Amino acid sequence: MEDLATAAIEAALKSGASFVDVRIENTATTIIEINDGVSKQSMASRLKGAGIRAFIEGAWAFAQTTDLTSAGMRATGESVAKMALATREKVADKFEIDGPSFEDRFEYKVKKPFKSISIDEKMSLVKMVDDQARDFDKRITSTRSVYGDMYTELFVANSLGTKVYAENSIPRIISAPTAKDGANRQRIFKSLGVRGGYEVLDTDEAQNIGNSAAKLVIDLLSSVSTKGGSYDVVMDPILNGVMTHEAFGHAAEADNWPSHSTVLEDKVGKEVGPEYLSITDDPTLTGKRGSYEYDWEGTKVKKRTLVKDGILTELLHSLETANRLDMEPNGAARSQSFMHAPLPRMSNTFMEPGDWNVDELIQDTKNGILLCSFNYGYTQSAKGQFMFQASHGYIIENGEKGQMVRDVSLAGNILEILAKVDAIGNDFELDAGSCGKSGQAVPTMTGGPHARILDVPVGGM
Amino acid sequence: MIKVLLDIGEKAIKLAEKMGAEQVEVYVAKSRAFEIEAENNAIKVASEQQDAGIGIRTVIGKKIGFAYVTTLEESDIEETISNSLNLARASLEDPDFVTLPSSGGTYQEAKKIFNKEIHELSSEDAAGLLIRTIDATKEKLEGKDFAIEAAISSSSSSSAIVNNLGIAMSESRTSVSLYSYPVIKEGDDQTASYEYQISRNLNDIDPEYIGTTAATLALGFLGPKTIDGGEMPVIFAPLGASAVLGRGFAGAINAEEVQMGRSYIADAFGECIASESLEIIDDGTIPGGLGTRTYDAEGYRSQRTPVIESGVLKNLLHNSYTSNKDSVDNTGNAARPSYSGLPRISTSNFIVTPGKGTLADFISEMEKGIVCRNTGDRPNMTTGDLSAMVMEGYYVENGEIQHPLKNTLIGINMKDLLKTVSRVGNDSRRTFSMVTPSIVIDRANITSG
Repeated sequence: MEDLATAAIEAALKSGASFVDVRIENTATTIIEINDGVSKQSMASRLKGAGIRAFIEGAWAFAQTTDLTSAGMRATGESVAKMALATREKVADKFEIDGPSFEDRFEYKVKKPFKSISIDEKMSLVKMVDDQARDFDKRITSTRSVYGDMYTELFVANSLGTKVYAENSIPRIISAPTAKDGANRQRIFKSLGVRGGYEVLDTDEAQNIGNSAAKLVIDLLSSVSTKGGSYDVVMDPILNGVMTHEAFGHAAEADNWPSHSTVLEDKVGKEVGPEYLSITDDPTLTGKRGSYEYDWEGTKVKKRTLVKDGILTELLHSLETANRLDMEPNGAARSQSFMHAPLPRMSNTFMEPGDWNVDELIQDTKNGILLCSFNYGYTQSAKGQFMFQASHGYIIENGEKGQMVRDVSLAGNILEILAKVDAIGNDFELDAGSCGKSGQAVPTMTGGPHARILDVPVGGM
Repeated sequence: MIKVLLDIGEKAIKLAEKMGAEQVEVYVAKSRAFEIEAENNAIKVASEQQDAGIGIRTVIGKKIGFAYVTTLEESDIEETISNSLNLARASLEDPDFVTLPSSGGTYQEAKKIFNKEIHELSSEDAAGLLIRTIDATKEKLEGKDFAIEAAISSSSSSSAIVNNLGIAMSESRTSVSLYSYPVIKEGDDQTASYEYQISRNLNDIDPEYIGTTAATLALGFLGPKTIDGGEMPVIFAPLGASAVLGRGFAGAINAEEVQMGRSYIADAFGECIASESLEIIDDGTIPGGLGTRTYDAEGYRSQRTPVIESGVLKNLLHNSYTSNKDSVDNTGNAARPSYSGLPRISTSNFIVTPGKGTLADFISEMEKGIVCRNTGDRPNMTTGDLSAMVMEGYYVENGEIQHPLKNTLIGINMKDLLKTVSRVGNDSRRTFSMVTPSIVIDRANITSG
């Protein structure tokens, strides 16, 4: 792979580029989906190709090729350099790309590589999960169960001298049953994502995901819609993670600074929340779905302390943003595949635990709502607005957890909401997800402790 | 190009049959996409995607496998066929699977879906359109503190679908889209808005309109306020209507979701589910439509399908699997993300039949209520409950916009939303997911704070 990358880099430099990088990827995935005991999707894919970027004086060009021969790489290197040169006349901000270079070969050792496990064995696992959910209760009317695995070999090289080979291995299991009681129909989505080989699914949590999803959807049958209004909201760790990710993490991606599209633009080094609030993005955690050793620009990753004691201290950087903001690169540039150019992204993002006992936190909430798990969320960093939806929750009356509610939405403004976080629990949990940005999905995790936000608008039917 | 793809398809079919497939379908596609992006009022990135790949569905008995690869190399195709067959062999039998589709009926050839100007669009000309858009946005924002993000994307693709039951279809399509997204800062207030156009024809794209509209909209969202919540009417501008109907309703009439009991309209087929003023059709045959095609993602012929007529649910959207399962006609709504996935079900051109009046008319007639220009939300597809943030919207009193909104949510069940549509406008526009005018609903629960 090194020879191919060198061919492209040399061709692009010769054609006039000042910086060039190459990603060569070979990824194999499997998706096995069973609905109601029947195979719905049995799918395998192979992604094989290279993405090449050329840069000169503030102008970028990107191209991809699946022609992995020396001639093919040279041709793409030349054409991408020419695109960058043509773009150069039209750019406004001139800057250079510089930074540390890395040379490493990271082989990700797992006990049971996905390819060593037969399709029959994977099929049996999904069938077991599917059966669990269906057999749990007569009111389960439909089941959907999915297994997915992805094994990636990535080689990144650039004209600064970086040559990094890295592997990754992430499995996922999902149970999404539907239940019906009279006219009331409910559905839940429960997923578990970790990092490692097939062996990491050998846990009680993974092996019983059909049961736990089924229990939740049956519970949901007795839930009601919420009444809209302003509430004191206690978030569970999963929802807190979604809040931290949507309401803060995206706005801390450093590509928002040159484009002036974040409400945090003037806040670096300044207060963005109460002094007991700290937010971290850490790709170095062992065995987590959002973890990796080198980013898709070949930069070695670091733990990023985004907010420390209420102060915005660090951002999520690519080589470009680190250069333009004169900050240290921290390895946050990620791509969905070789077909996409890397962008600053989150990894495992969470609120650091505080000192509240969770039971006491709920007892201390007179009239509020406990929101749990999530359906989805999104944000618009330029306006600072975000929205996310809890899959379910419980009304809190006089410090006691009461009636179950469902599909509770919460909308707000980034700078206003963090200031309203008034109590942070001492527990901690991370949940697996996927994050989308500019049409690229990357595996992430989000989480934190329970936490309370005062007086926020909650949507109702 | 098309001939080459069909040949690759035929060859893969023969090989798969030899390797043990009873039925086999090959989807092979090749595309070139081109994009120029601008950041902070100036061009910054140019990119070119040359993509080619093949997806192979194999059937053994009632067991189905699928595999794809991002190249068209012979050895990769052979590995992909082998993967697909291995997956089919290991799959659990689907008793409801009958057969892949065969070629039948008359295909109506799709018109105006390939545009030579887009196919041959040079990077200089694309950059020119983008700069005109930025200039138009700038002009409207003169004297303000602003940063404009904008991009133009064009794509030209060819695909072929071949199966061993007689289907061998191929077609070339083009598309282009252009947007402007200005961010404006005024003191502590920061806001943004956007406008875009997407078409299969380059002449439909108007950079000055996009730039001016995006800037005008963004200026109008400065100084947002919350309001006192409660029940009130909501005007959905075309983008908002497209979000709630194109995503929130289109997903509910997907026959697969209905068959699985996961759709909120599961029990409502043939019943009155909407207000009489609402008529929706799905039409894969209109000239130049974004969803127009001669054949769907399984090679089955496109058609016009009434979905809601006089408030009554007339049809669900089917592919070959769901129509065989229900023993009804296939509506030709199979859809897939190019070669990289199995055919599911999606709308083609999802169209709300225009009525009377425009967004401005509806505002002037409104005593007290809100306008939702857009939302990023979707309902819970199983219950129909929708809690939607007003991403861009206004508060209206006495026929006039009072101020833009912030932190405001619309709560309503989709079944109620469909029934309380009181007005359907004639200001239709094309969005990424449908063609719709503004619509008004009588009442929804508004929370703001």
